[in-house]
Amino acid sequence: MADVTDRALGGEEAADLSRRRFLRGAGGVAAGGMIAPSLLAASGSANAAPAIAAHPAGPETLDGDVEIELLINGTKRKVVVEPRTTLLDALRMRIDPALTGTKSVCERGNCGACTVLVDGEPRYACLQLACDLRGRAITTIEGLGTPAQLSVLQQEFVAYDGSMCGFCTPGFVVAITACLQKDPAASEATIRTACAGNLCRCGTQPQIFEAALAAGRRLAEGK
Amino acid sequence: MSLEASMREDPPKKRKIKTTKVVNGVDTEVEVEIDDVAAIAWPERSKLRVLNQDIPRVDGPDKVTGVARYTHDVRLPGMVYARLLVSPLPRAKVVNLDVEAAKKVKGVVHVLVVKGTETGFLGDPVAAVSAESMDAAEDGLRALAAKFEPLPWAADHDSAMKEGAPLVAKSGNVSKAATDGDEAKARAALAAGAFRVKATYRLPVQHHACLETHGVVVDFRGGDEATVYCSTQAAHGFAGDAAEELGLPANAVTGIVEHMGGGFGSKFGLDKQGQVACQIAKELKRPVHLMLDRRAEFLMGGNRSGGIQTIEASCDADGKMTGFVVDAFKHGGLQAGSLAGMPYCYRPESHYRAVRSVRMHLDASRAMRAPGSPQASFGMEGIVDELAYAAGIDLVRFRKQNLPADAAWQHQLDRVAQEIGWADHPHKSKPGEASGQECIGIGFGVSAWGGGGSDDCEVEVRIDRDGSITAACGVQDLGTGTRTYMAAITAEEFGLAVSDVTAKLGSSRLGMGVGSGGSVTTASLAPAVKDAASKARVAFAAHLGQVLRLPAEGFRFEPEGVLHTGAKTPTVMTWKKACGTLPAEGLRAQGKWIESLAARGVNCTQAARVAVDPGTGRVRVLHMVCVQAVGLPLNRLALKSQIQGGMIQALGYALSEERVIDPLLGIQLNPSFEEYKMPHALEIPRMTTIIDDLDTRQGVIGVGEPPVIPGAGAIANAIYNACGARVRDLPITPDKVLAALGKVV
Amino acid sequence: MKSFRLVNPTTIDEAVALASDPNSGRVQYLAGGQDLLTEMKEHLAEPDRVVNLKSIPGLDVIDSSSGALGVGSLATLARIESDATIRAHWTALSEAAASVASTQIRSCGTLGGNLCQRPRCVYYRIEEARCLKKGGTECFSYGGFNKYNAILGGGPSWIVHPSDLAPALVALGAEIVLRSKTGSRRMPIERFYVLPADGDVTKETALLDGEIVIQILAPKPAPGSRSTYLKFKERESYDFALSAVAASVTLENGRVREARICLGGVAPVPWRVTRAEAVLVGRTLDAAAAREAAEAALHGAEPLSQNAYKIPLTKTLVERALLALVR
Repeated sequence: MADVTDRALGGEEAADLSRRRFLRGAGGVAAGGMIAPSLLAASGSANAAPAIAAHPAGPETLDGDVEIELLINGTKRKVVVEPRTTLLDALRMRIDPALTGTKSVCERGNCGACTVLVDGEPRYACLQLACDLRGRAITTIEGLGTPAQLSVLQQEFVAYDGSMCGFCTPGFVVAITACLQKDPAASEATIRTACAGNLCRCGTQPQIFEAALAAGRRLAEGK
Repeated sequence: MSLEASMREDPPKKRKIKTTKVVNGVDTEVEVEIDDVAAIAWPERSKLRVLNQDIPRVDGPDKVTGVARYTHDVRLPGMVYARLLVSPLPRAKVVNLDVEAAKKVKGVVHVLVVKGTETGFLGDPVAAVSAESMDAAEDGLRALAAKFEPLPWAADHDSAMKEGAPLVAKSGNVSKAATDGDEAKARAALAAGAFRVKATYRLPVQHHACLETHGVVVDFRGGDEATVYCSTQAAHGFAGDAAEELGLPANAVTGIVEHMGGGFGSKFGLDKQGQVACQIAKELKRPVHLMLDRRAEFLMGGNRSGGIQTIEASCDADGKMTGFVVDAFKHGGLQAGSLAGMPYCYRPESHYRAVRSVRMHLDASRAMRAPGSPQASFGMEGIVDELAYAAGIDLVRFRKQNLPADAAWQHQLDRVAQEIGWADHPHKSKPGEASGQECIGIGFGVSAWGGGGSDDCEVEVRIDRDGSITAACGVQDLGTGTRTYMAAITAEEFGLAVSDVTAKLGSSRLGMGVGSGGSVTTASLAPAVKDAASKARVAFAAHLGQVLRLPAEGFRFEPEGVLHTGAKTPTVMTWKKACGTLPAEGLRAQGKWIESLAARGVNCTQAARVAVDPGTGRVRVLHMVCVQAVGLPLNRLALKSQIQGGMIQALGYALSEERVIDPLLGIQLNPSFEEYKMPHALEIPRMTTIIDDLDTRQGVIGVGEPPVIPGAGAIANAIYNACGARVRDLPITPDKVLAALGKVV
Repeated sequence: MKSFRLVNPTTIDEAVALASDPNSGRVQYLAGGQDLLTEMKEHLAEPDRVVNLKSIPGLDVIDSSSGALGVGSLATLARIESDATIRAHWTALSEAAASVASTQIRSCGTLGGNLCQRPRCVYYRIEEARCLKKGGTECFSYGGFNKYNAILGGGPSWIVHPSDLAPALVALGAEIVLRSKTGSRRMPIERFYVLPADGDVTKETALLDGEIVIQILAPKPAPGSRSTYLKFKERESYDFALSAVAASVTLENGRVREARICLGGVAPVPWRVTRAEAVLVGRTLDAAAAREAAEAALHGAEPLSQNAYKIPLTKTLVERALLALVR
């Protein structure tokens, strides 16, 4: 890639626009003494079981093409990936037939279009290594409903016009599904926070919030 | 005359059909002329059963379940993934491209050099690597070890305008001024005005930021034909060019766009990446998937041009605007950029404008939702506001008196003022004080648009023996709801439910369809759908008349079924039974545009209420209101979404979006959704969207664009109204508000 | 991303034994991956071996049973945010965790990852801009785009440290525990962060190659103490801080016995402001005191061409954070 330390300046000399000033910053970090009494080292019990068993011959090392098994929407799927393969790429390009409901939009965890659930918690699939998710329950948009059998939230999305171009929709549906699963009585503020990590460029957010609240009411009433 | 033949004519005033009449006491088959034009009209609104209601999108279920397939999702046997390398600098010499090394990378199957010597703009495509996986294609790009030597460029306004600046075009970077109006008269009015203001407004470059990037999948396997999937706004707009690139006859290539993830004006034609994909497919004889990655999308996917406007305006003591002079620059990168005619909407007695383009070695601007209008609106609403304050006149009253007396804006301004709470608002002609943590302000903005249609769509409505009915046209649904109103118009015609009708679109194999730009789709397509449906109804009635020996004109298609109110007792048959009488080939009718079913010219008025925190500079938009004239609404639910969507894009334009270029290093600093900041859930205000039902025209009009225009001006004005911080430079971020309040030393 | 070998150790010893070496190449440790993976996609980081810390049991424990708080480096931000004990007694930490990014990031982003994340400076994040932090010779923000950069402690690099948890932990008087092949180290969290002028400008922390963060330890809060974290973002939904304030105050008989105030988003390290703390000690924490402390907090600020707004902004935040503690 280009190295822009050598740069052309549209005709100007480099000298007057040089930014080579190595000033030392003013002040330093104040030395703070410990005010609190002595600390105890925390002792803890194991929390999450490791997905990988201890190897007597040293730690498990994955290199090059590996076949792994992922639990996706309740079904075990074998897929060949590399260590660098993200869950998003595994879903969209390696599993056969491809699961393309989860969208690739920014690949940097900024837009939420790739939101999936891992053990019920929303994550950006573009920032998950597929190999890291062995043994976890992965839920994609395909696992939440079908056109013939829409989930309650999906029904309300349709009723309230929560989609325009629809490219952001799977991400929003997954993120809000997780929110309502935790609390069907979630307020609008809670719903907004739950999908604050999702982007819609068409601007359907107001309808999305209404759909989410309507779905929440039905779920809370057991409908 | 066959059914089909009788229906293929252009709609004449009279139409001949065969029917049964009682002649001399005998049932006789006769040919009669009926006046059918009168029948092709939208029913009165009170009689509409399906249209002008809230209609859930017919493709909603596919979208909410991830079933809807976009170009990015297309998967084909043997398909390769291609990645583009684009120029990281505005102008550079390509001094190294290790093609052989790239070819040797595991998984790489093809390397194409697009521009091997010199690049002309930041984002210019240089090379394409295709591989069995996207990761391998990326590896291939890295292996090219591309090296660029900077050449002198112009990447900002001041540098581009300087004497001796590197030139984008031989004729120079700065165009001649395009002028309009009477300069002498306008300047005299300024000098003589009771009140006079002058200000400079700056607009950034805004990105379309579609969620689905630009790109294609070219399904060519070395044979006689190909299918090209494209994320595009015109189904008929790219297959021909693809055929040329592939070396195939034009009619051997099908263009498909079933669903697409946003365009907003940026996606027309095969485009550079489509061309490259075709070149690769031609050589490889394998399907090629080439979608721009997000960074390339920012660098070469187009943008809304920015600019600078220096405006002077005057009014008399009563607030009538007397003079208006604007000196403007457009920043459209390699292209000219756009700016709607100023003065925008408002009517000063005299005006003069001089508009110049300043070109730079940056990605050319493309049409973006109401090209040139948000820019013009921002400057206009700003100067109108500033003049109103100078004159000490109520902001609504000032606007009304400077807009045409018979314009819809008059009643729309009253309505938005009411909805936003203007009557009780304390700051009507003077801004509030910058104290406390929440200063409340209100601002207004207006816009206008054409939205008319033309004779560009060929629609076919087809009824089959099994009861299925289809409306088809080679148009596209961008999220605009096209599928839904095609089905709805047809359902309305036949007394059916929307779900009984299938809408087919998105293929160049279907009848000609207009491209979705300029908000022309609805006004072009809907009349043609209505025409086709109407003709199909007439033909179906004529057919049933023959079969049942009843006068054709007595048939009615109602939700209860097919009725006949003739001389004999009313007859009812179900839709299915009626269809069962059709011949095996069913019934087809072709529709074309009918001018009287469309209209053009809409006004839109908006207001914004904001809370400004003078301690931090934070602006929270609390409420946005819009009254939009739409002519005859087809689907009120989708209309509301479209209007709100435009308002939210304006919100981003007002408060957070801008392309940031470092002109010395020659790089875009924010080619990502992290640093290019658009509104997310917590930014969305309460929104009141009102379809202007005082617009009783019985013609459909496209309104994709007008709602995006006035929001930024309304918000900027609301910020001033709240606390006296006048920021004339979008986006209005907290640092600018603090500076405008004098808090930044 | 460049190809790499993924290593899944099951003990800390295994993990720290895998430091970079010339034979097996560069090692980087992977926790939640919410920063490391983005850096790898931009080719800012190209490790040959990625050593996963999630496969080690016991690194994610949250424990306050002894009165002091221990949070394992692999505890997710979501778990920290929702922990009722942390919210009640180490509120600044809870509020800081809740303010990070988005739900999706918080569900798997970790304490350790948040503390060790690399800067967000646009020049740092763009591969082609070979700035000081990446081995180049110049900090491009200084004479370039610096709206988001440092107003305190800057030079020769003017990044701001993007962590929300770090200033909160400074205000809570926390320590950080590190482990490497050679053993454990423990230090006040302020010493973990290193000014560009004081150390290797290509790093932000004292973390050595082959060393990992094990946990933070925050002392039991003194009676009468409250803490808070106030973060100001340019976009409320999902953004890094333009400026942030973490403050912890202990009141005794209506007067401030102790205060710790730390600024975020304004300096290359979490910026503790003892000058402002000194203003408060012995006084009633009222509007006047808060305002004076806010002024003192920005002592020595040297804005760049585009970021002077951070001065009045930060003063406002300091004032409000302090007054929130006595409401």
